[in-house]
Amino acid sequence: MSSAHQPGEVEPITGKYVYADIGGVTHRVYVEENGPENGTPLLCQHTAGNNCQEWRHVLTDEEITDEFRVIAYDLPYHGKSVPPTTQEWWTEDYTMTARKFADSVVAIADALDLEDPIYMGCSMGGNLALELGDWYPDRFQALIGLECSAYSPGFYIDWLDHPHVNTTEVNAYSCWGLMAPQGPESALRETMYLYEQGATGVFKGDLYYYSVDHDYRDKLDQVNADECPLFIVNGEYDYLTTPEDGRTAAEGIGEGATAVEMKGIGHFPMSENPELFNAYIKEVLAAVTGEREEDLPDELTPEDVGIEYHPPGPTREKPAE
Amino acid sequence: MQHIGGDTVNETELGTHEWWETYKETVNSDPELEVRGHDKFNENFYVQMGDERVLLEMADGKIDTVVPNPTLNHRWTFGVEGDREAWEEFVQETPPPFNHEIIASHYRTAVRNEDGHLQLTGDNKKIFQNLRAFQRTLELMRVAHNNGGA
Repeated sequence: MSSAHQPGEVEPITGKYVYADIGGVTHRVYVEENGPENGTPLLCQHTAGNNCQEWRHVLTDEEITDEFRVIAYDLPYHGKSVPPTTQEWWTEDYTMTARKFADSVVAIADALDLEDPIYMGCSMGGNLALELGDWYPDRFQALIGLECSAYSPGFYIDWLDHPHVNTTEVNAYSCWGLMAPQGPESALRETMYLYEQGATGVFKGDLYYYSVDHDYRDKLDQVNADECPLFIVNGEYDYLTTPEDGRTAAEGIGEGATAVEMKGIGHFPMSENPELFNAYIKEVLAAVTGEREEDLPDELTPEDVGIEYHPPGPTREKPAE
Repeated sequence: MQHIGGDTVNETELGTHEWWETYKETVNSDPELEVRGHDKFNENFYVQMGDERVLLEMADGKIDTVVPNPTLNHRWTFGVEGDREAWEEFVQETPPPFNHEIIASHYRTAVRNEDGHLQLTGDNKKIFQNLRAFQRTLELMRVAHNNGGA
């Protein structure tokens, strides 16, 4: 991945707004995409309290966009998807639920008229792969749950929406340790910068789904991975939904579910270490399309995909000589 | 400098007087603690490695005093406790998963009931009011321990 862009260079990502009916309310949803119009749609769901900018390096990876029509959107109340003008949304706390979340994703896929899309979501979007496999296995060609688990307790934290706390910074840096130290500092910091852009209460409201409403521990058999293949892909440094949690979920789901561990990366793989993540996800996408004939390995390492680790934190902080 | 187990480490042993003095210098010259309101970090906190407790008295985002074995005469708002082994992992140049950051480590202790990680104690509100400055201050233990990578 090059960081040396030339003045005048234009990225091929295009943005637009699509109206979607979610629970009887019309929402103006911001969508970015890149890739051939007739390519397999790869629908990308951002993490809690964040927005579609997390996917910018997938959206600009030519090897991916040659084949896939990569589409990333902002959920309502996130990024550039402003709240619906027909609702008095300021009179209530924003709260995300499993039903509302799953219905939102399907409504956006419907509004974009996507045929057999692959769904790829991260964190709360990763967990949602289970609800989608439970409720909407016919709507998707395959599901990729990044940082996905049956249950992810303990992050519905009151301080993340408290007037005595600088939630702009805290909503970001409460997630700092979710990333692996091997990522390039510019990417780690950009991930935090994206977190700093969330509206009041939205991150915490999303975490209601993430840490409270989402609980598949006793109903993994309801996830229809035999109809809609499910890939659970978790980073080694993800302390909320560990690679072990991913394996447990895949085993509980059974046929059609595959768990893969990504070494040297954490809970925001696509934005914390884009070069490494893109290399990893190409392996997974090849398994989804059938291009890859052998089974995915239990673990993917940087060496497997020909990526060198970046210098770890303290080395990076060595003063310039 | 020497190499032990593949990691470059400071010759000074973690937790000695000399180590804390080096650490204090690292914190007090850190640019990130001078900006974005981090210079408003004025809460004293302790670090406990095994049985050894050290109080860090903070003033305007800098360590004013390092107090070994604080007593009833001292005040603090919060603290971090853990086995020496957990702290040794925390300060490694490339720390292992879950002992690589304070919230991560605390989560594995408090929510997942695992051993071998760090634990926050004290006033949670004050922790979140000072989160980044506090987290950064702890992170600089790693920078100091590895001589800033020098």
